[in-house]
Amino acid sequence: MGIQVIDPGIFTTVQDGGRTGYQQYGVTPSGPMDERAFAQANLLTGNPAGTEELEMTFQGGRYCFDTDAVIAITGADMKPQLNGEPIPMYQAVSVEAGSELVLGFAANGCRAYLSVAGGMDIPLVMESRSTLTGKHLGGIDGRKLEKGDRIEFTATVSEVANQESRVLAQPEYSEKEITLRVVAGPQDDGFSREEFRKFFWYGAVITNEADRQGIRLKREIPVKHVGDGNIISDGIAFGSIQVPPNGQPIVMMADRQTVGGYPKIGTVITVDLPLLAQAKPGTQVRFIEVSIELAQELYLRELSSRKEIESQWNK
Amino acid sequence: MEDIRILISGDKAVSVQMGSEISLEVNHRVLMLQAELEKNPIEGVTEMLPTYASLMVHYRPEVIRFRELSEEIMKRTQTMKEISGSKKRIVEVPICYGGEFGPDLEYCAELEHTTPEEIIRKHSQHDYYVYMLGFAPGHPYAARFEEPFSFKRRETARVMIPARSVVVQQNLSDLIPFDQPCGWNIIGQTPCEICDYSRKDPFLVHAGEWTRYIPVTPEEFRKIRKQVEAGKWKPRIIE
Repeated sequence: MGIQVIDPGIFTTVQDGGRTGYQQYGVTPSGPMDERAFAQANLLTGNPAGTEELEMTFQGGRYCFDTDAVIAITGADMKPQLNGEPIPMYQAVSVEAGSELVLGFAANGCRAYLSVAGGMDIPLVMESRSTLTGKHLGGIDGRKLEKGDRIEFTATVSEVANQESRVLAQPEYSEKEITLRVVAGPQDDGFSREEFRKFFWYGAVITNEADRQGIRLKREIPVKHVGDGNIISDGIAFGSIQVPPNGQPIVMMADRQTVGGYPKIGTVITVDLPLLAQAKPGTQVRFIEVSIELAQELYLRELSSRKEIESQWNK
Repeated sequence: MEDIRILISGDKAVSVQMGSEISLEVNHRVLMLQAELEKNPIEGVTEMLPTYASLMVHYRPEVIRFRELSEEIMKRTQTMKEISGSKKRIVEVPICYGGEFGPDLEYCAELEHTTPEEIIRKHSQHDYYVYMLGFAPGHPYAARFEEPFSFKRRETARVMIPARSVVVQQNLSDLIPFDQPCGWNIIGQTPCEICDYSRKDPFLVHAGEWTRYIPVTPEEFRKIRKQVEAGKWKPRIIE
């Protein structure tokens, strides 16, 4: 019992909390691009954190349920409809067997998340259900969803505890300009003090080359390196801002390579990465430097407010 | 010994730099620190990624913050030991050189002003150290320490080269697990899967191991390939 994919949308994949422990073998962690919207969808359906969801990019598609279910949709506003009637996002919604769910083009943001109470029956590959399409790994046969795919649910759930109170505020994503806070390093010393400061003075714009691997930015004046723009290859974190020799930054995202040989001037802080995951090409990006202490404090605050909501709802 | 530096890689990871050169000694220290952190784990550390000269440590800031983590890591760098029983572990990898399998072999010989046979000899006579895996699942970054080639990358990269290609430049040689773009010269192909998700251990080689390349004929290549496809082939490992 589960869903039948009538139309998979443009790029829909299964993602869970990510593949942990395999970066040492060259396997990227994957997982959701927008960790906040992903966590909120599972929170709304009462699933444990990290339960697999569908991540839909730019357009959601059409899905037929052959079982009762409780779902939640978060992230980009794809104007979801159930049997032709609009349904709210950021809310736990009951779905009856035989219903058809349609998600259109993203009117705001880029990526929507669909969580199903109880989770989906997807095989584990290297301890994760996340899809890495570039390397044909995980999810459904290591690829994006296709017409005719079936996804079985692990449980039939027609209602969850405190369902009527399971509502969260829907964010509005800016389509003009976003501000991303950045912690300097690991190779901020690969740039002169002045170049480093300039990185924050001048903004950049998101190019069309933006996907799950990385988001390429374009600056009017390229960033200059102290050396030739190469380092001894080292590990790359989610949100690392790589600056290749051409001086045009790339923010490394969920499907990034595990290692790379370009200096990384800074790393976008975890709580601001969702803004980038939801920003469309053409959006202006501004950077602000913050301390590691503040970055971690902000992340901890977000985690604890989510925990608090969870303990109220799952009581 | 050089100072160890802990570099901030955002709010959930640090890069512990054990040196600033690509050398066996520095890489060995990276693996020593990883072994120490496996033996005496720090609560909150979720995974580690050894590279040429640094160990990336991913952690959960809700369990341990940056300052405390750094202190704990520095303590481990004081207590880390030579990896016990760290004998040289060599994985033998059969390679069919030249022809359809290695379209650039003759070109490499021209670049070196020598014969294809001499290129094969230099490539297969010395063992390669696997500094790290990266770029793609199971992709080894490996180097030999004797008789480097003088040529570097090709002038223009190929848009796509086939999986299992063996590519070279200078003292480096990589095994390509998946079809990918590549700017290095292809001198051969291995019949083995470098990464096979269906195996219990999907990866042919691991960081800190050595590879030894065994020249095989096209007939032997096809024979091994059949065994690989039937799931019956295992690499010979020398310890």
